[in-house]
Amino acid sequence: MEEDLPPLGGLGGKTQQERISMEVMKIKRILIANRGEIAVRIMKTAHLMKIETVAVKTAVEPNAMYLASADEIYDNTDDSSEIPVFLDIEKLIGIALKTNSNAIHPGYGFLAENAYFAQKCLDNNLIFIGPSPDAIYKMGNKTIARRIALANGIPMATGSEGNIANEEEAATIAEKIGYPVIIKAASGGGGRGMRIVRKAEEMEKMFIIASKEAEKAFNDPSVFVEKYIENPKHIEFQILGDIKGNVIHLGERECSIQRKHQKLLEEAPSPALDEKLRKRMGDMAVQIARAVDYHSAGTVEFLLDSEKNFYFMEMNTRIQVEHPVTEIITGLDLIEQQIRIANGEELKYKQSDIKLKGWAIECRINAEDVQAGFAPDPGKIESLNMPSGPCIRIDTGVQSGSSIVASYDSMIAKLIVKGKDRRDAIKNCKMALDKVWIKGTKTTLPFFRMLVRHQKFQDGTFTTAFIEKDLEKYYLNSEYEEMLAAWLATKLFIEENLNDDSINVNFEHGKVMSPWLLNKRINQF
Amino acid sequence: MANDKLQIKKLYALSSENKKFSFSLPLKQNIRIGKRDYEVKLKADEKFGTYILWKNRKFPVEIVRSSQNKYEILFNDISYTFSVETPFSLQRKKVLNSKRGKVEQENIKAPMPGKIIDVLVREGAAVLRGEPVVILEAMKMQNEIISPVNGTILRVLAKPNTNVMKDDLLVEIKL
Repeated sequence: MEEDLPPLGGLGGKTQQERISMEVMKIKRILIANRGEIAVRIMKTAHLMKIETVAVKTAVEPNAMYLASADEIYDNTDDSSEIPVFLDIEKLIGIALKTNSNAIHPGYGFLAENAYFAQKCLDNNLIFIGPSPDAIYKMGNKTIARRIALANGIPMATGSEGNIANEEEAATIAEKIGYPVIIKAASGGGGRGMRIVRKAEEMEKMFIIASKEAEKAFNDPSVFVEKYIENPKHIEFQILGDIKGNVIHLGERECSIQRKHQKLLEEAPSPALDEKLRKRMGDMAVQIARAVDYHSAGTVEFLLDSEKNFYFMEMNTRIQVEHPVTEIITGLDLIEQQIRIANGEELKYKQSDIKLKGWAIECRINAEDVQAGFAPDPGKIESLNMPSGPCIRIDTGVQSGSSIVASYDSMIAKLIVKGKDRRDAIKNCKMALDKVWIKGTKTTLPFFRMLVRHQKFQDGTFTTAFIEKDLEKYYLNSEYEEMLAAWLATKLFIEENLNDDSINVNFEHGKVMSPWLLNKRINQF
Repeated sequence: MANDKLQIKKLYALSSENKKFSFSLPLKQNIRIGKRDYEVKLKADEKFGTYILWKNRKFPVEIVRSSQNKYEILFNDISYTFSVETPFSLQRKKVLNSKRGKVEQENIKAPMPGKIIDVLVREGAAVLRGEPVVILEAMKMQNEIISPVNGTILRVLAKPNTNVMKDDLLVEIKL
């Protein structure tokens, strides 16, 4: 699947070989401090760049697919620690040193936005493929990030000056700025430690929930309050900065299709932006990155209201799950860019070199039960058949026989589809979704099959409230399909209970059972 | 016994939303839409596993659960639950249903495996529909489990900092 990625060096001109040899690559061996699809993704580019990789084998997933992509596997299966290795800073540094790695890529999640981890890498002469510990710290702490944004004239929702001590203080501020407000974890991200409060009576309960969740997730109970922007669009800008202080943006992604702050579908560009607004928001994104001397790939998130006012939300100082849609419309390999920047290279592109071409959509196919409110449905993937073709890219860390384990996220695969424009991309997405076959666990596929046919999705007017407010059902119910399922149930009943000679089956103890049902049952136990 | 069963002329598949699909016996390998019959084939192959072929399209099928006459089927990734009834069992079911009064108790079960973070209600307390009763952490997310009804808390089985399996009983509410 390597041909799915944009060519190294990106935007044409010199040949790949010339570009690769342009700079001396100090990074020889990368420890991948992550698992799953992002580990596979990073190793693909490293391999293309002729850089060796080391992956960590864990007891939870000793047969995981990402291990096959590594040049060396560090066996950590006998680790009896309570903390998963991907969260254990000391252990990861130790593994990097033991395996002669001279760089660490943190991927996303786990320690990707942990300033202490980045610092520890530097202290041990390991190249951290990401921004400086200082930038991670400043942007990771939402109250500091707010202060920086404010000092730089970036538009923001009104809110508390800093962290708030208790629910009384939160209520006082909420009275001043007006309900609804949102409580956010100062060290937060990914939707955790976040609660919307619509009226004063809810404040105490929501404050406690948010604060507890924040403490649990980020080891920091501090929260702040800001005005809640109703029904916004989620627009984020991909930026790239180097250590010489050059910063550019690679256009936006729209991630408004989300549920409980978890993104489900992302696209690039956004149907809500025109060239003028893109430039204004992009300039702001670049400015805030400059304010923290940002180097590496990063993402500046904004909310966009119905009047096209935008508000800075936060900056993610890592590679994002949804980075492929940007890669498709810009032709740049973002992992390559991260590695080159970490190697000390200067950006080879100016803002004017970046041209957005075509449209890309990413569907996060997760092991979740859409009919049970997206409840996780971990289990063994009995078979996985993904489509392929010129407009399809699949990023995955599982294959037939892999397991989606409850200790990690529920991602099965990212289906990334491109088109010459939005309509074309949606059309291609529709066709691709019908060709995805996953057996063994329930998935978010029924949701996406409904979504791509929904008027509001097609016309691009959806907001982050779409799933909770505009949808009565999370999937499409076809009457014929239900009838066929009923036919199958009836057929099974007959095979199990009635003696029917027309069915070619084994006969045992008066019970008739078709071989494939038997097979399925054997596999279950 | 087999002879008795051969007398059955029809079977009904009742969906969880009480939709009734009837099928004559012996079961035909086609389904009628309007005036046309379309052939249904249950097939399996190495690549796709089990699937139904209908109108030139393949639909993945999987049996999620089956017990006695109840079947949960994943058809094209959507789950359907049916109870398959004979004319006699259907009649019996109707009689039983009419005798049973209305439900007086609501049991809140864990919608997914996870860890109980907090229990927000006490026994004897009144709850309103939509009010969170338990906070359950699963796959790194804290989920509020909401009361679907107005009522009084009868029993609290969930304990903070304990792990629960899917469908474990958390709270009983008296209507």
